[in-house]
Amino acid sequence: MKPVPKRPWVGAASLLLGGAATLPVLLSLLLLGVLAVDAVPAVRVMGWHLVTDSTWDLGNLYGATTHVRGVPVPTGAHYGALPFLVGTLWSSALAMLVAVPVATRAAILTAYGLRGRWQRMAAVLIDLIAGLPSVVIGLWGLLVLVPFIQNTAAPVLTRLGRWIPWLDGPVTSGMGLLAATLVLALMVTPVITSTLRELLAQVPAEIREAGFAAGLTSWEVVRLVCLPAVRSGRVGAVALGWGRAIGETMAVLMVGGNAANVLPTTLFSPISTVAASVAEQLDAALTDPTGMALHALSALALVLMVISVGTSTLSRLLVRRSAQFRHAAQSPEDEEVSPWTSRASA
Amino acid sequence: MTHTLRHGRMALVGAAMLAVGALAGCGSGSDTTGGNGNTAGNSTASIGAVTLAESGSSLLYPLFNNEWIPAYASVDKSVTLTAESSGSGTGIAKAIAGQVQIGASDAYLSDGQMQQHPTMLNIPLAVSAQQVMYNVPGLGKNVHLKLDGPTLAAIYEGKVQYWDDASITTLNPDVKLPHQRIIPVHRSDSSGDTFLFTQYLSDTDAAWKTSIAYGTSVSWPAVQGALGAKGNSGVVQTLAATPGSIGYVGISWLDQGVQQGLGYAALKNHNGQFELPTADAIQKEAAAGVNQVPDDERISLINLPADGGYPIVNFEYAIVNSQQPADVATALKKFLTWAIDPQQGGGSQYLTPVHFLPLPAAIQSKSQAQISKIGQ
Repeated sequence: MKPVPKRPWVGAASLLLGGAATLPVLLSLLLLGVLAVDAVPAVRVMGWHLVTDSTWDLGNLYGATTHVRGVPVPTGAHYGALPFLVGTLWSSALAMLVAVPVATRAAILTAYGLRGRWQRMAAVLIDLIAGLPSVVIGLWGLLVLVPFIQNTAAPVLTRLGRWIPWLDGPVTSGMGLLAATLVLALMVTPVITSTLRELLAQVPAEIREAGFAAGLTSWEVVRLVCLPAVRSGRVGAVALGWGRAIGETMAVLMVGGNAANVLPTTLFSPISTVAASVAEQLDAALTDPTGMALHALSALALVLMVISVGTSTLSRLLVRRSAQFRHAAQSPEDEEVSPWTSRASA
Repeated sequence: MTHTLRHGRMALVGAAMLAVGALAGCGSGSDTTGGNGNTAGNSTASIGAVTLAESGSSLLYPLFNNEWIPAYASVDKSVTLTAESSGSGTGIAKAIAGQVQIGASDAYLSDGQMQQHPTMLNIPLAVSAQQVMYNVPGLGKNVHLKLDGPTLAAIYEGKVQYWDDASITTLNPDVKLPHQRIIPVHRSDSSGDTFLFTQYLSDTDAAWKTSIAYGTSVSWPAVQGALGAKGNSGVVQTLAATPGSIGYVGISWLDQGVQQGLGYAALKNHNGQFELPTADAIQKEAAAGVNQVPDDERISLINLPADGGYPIVNFEYAIVNSQQPADVATALKKFLTWAIDPQQGGGSQYLTPVHFLPLPAAIQSKSQAQISKIGQ
């Protein structure tokens, strides 16, 4: 007798698993769709001015309602999000500039430099910092970092401002772009370190040993063998960190200074970000009788999503570009290696 | 189960069952618990247990959560009160949506909102005020700067940039002010305090009224270096940490601000007098507004012609939907009546810790008239 095939189970299970697998994609598409539809009225009112104008005004919520291009809005309403966009991009990009080199070195150290108990301890510590609630880091920023910038760092840095444009004053308070950048850097460094460390630990020992056998120093093995081996994973780590920096709300809200309607002109200028603004404006938006303020916030959220996707794509492009560059430079580099080999054998 | 699934065509059924599993589960679940739920509902209804949820203003939250809820537990055991500090705007939105029974707000509903939701009531519960606080290095502890609306407007517009500006020194000829940059601090979140402060500026400065106007969240003038802070706690913290700063703070935060070394201003009232936010001056201002309060009690008490009155005074509102189920309406009326009674919930033992004042008698009766509309 033929054994009964277990087809039905397999079919049902694959249906279930398939559904589960597509769910994240479906959900993010649904989210994007809902945001896009909800943002339409605000985009109709503002057009491109939504991202090019510097005045964000919910209008007089206690005044009369007017109509702009057939859409009812509170009198005086104007949704120009440029300061939020600039604040988000500057703070997150500068944070990455600080975080990526630090995280790379920290990951190399914990993956290869430490052994046994020390390695485990470092890993636990880094994961601990990565998991710290942002409000805790924000509070540290407010109580420690902001006074430090105002009283100690700024007086030194502003002297360099004579030669470096973004470093000149006036330093009105410690809150602003620099504080936001450093707090974000602190938050994303462990995220990138942790991811990168896992990747580096997975580089096969044979490949590394081959590098040593070829006479490379341990730093050269890391630079020429290990880091290239995990290149695509590094992109993911950097994109993950950048995404977190862009979306971070609470800590930036606490140390960024919440500038209104004004673009930063120095490293010490107060800023506001897209994410922080959505959080801050929601309460007022709920009292807009025309509901337009909520549409404007949806438009902000949509912009935030577009920026996240954009930076993730950008980091991929950058690494692909550098990969091509490396490949092009590969052959002379190989020749560069040989003298080392002879010297090591000598 | 396995037996039935051996039949090939049952695969489809199996898949369908899995697909609608959640739905089927819900259906049967509600069937079985439905019976239990009914009996439970009946029994609780016979006891008369009702939950009144409050959400909104962070200024009212300490009064609700720390004072009224413990006190009311002994007044009416059948009612469970809950409180939530979510901000006035959220409180209003939740009350309109029926998610809470009481929305707490420092500001009344706008005309536009009242047209959309005509069954909403704005019931004053207590009188509150707001002071202007500053961190000016070298100023004596007992020195209160004299400030008026146009000067404050000019500071927030970035036109007056230093503490020794002529507009400030002419108001304070006896005070030696430093050549220190002024850093205006505003609320970054939506706030009844912003509503009150911008109303004072709008009432006293025509240019501010046309350019910025007033609201729980306004579009602040672009001033390089100006700061925003979240909540009254955030403003006090920012002021304390930033020399040269100035900001507006709700009266229940006055003590914390003074403890952190901040000064607070004597503000120019409608009659040209400079007044501090004392209980006496707040009472005088509220008393001046009594005759003007309409039946729906939506009114600004800012800058009224009151002799010796402090100019930034307001009602703290309960935003309530008059359309309620009978048992909720009864409990809500009883609680609100208790809350505005100066012999009971409106007594100084509850209000003084947060620097609030009880409603004047004429206002109490107007609030009572509104309370009686609930459930009708």
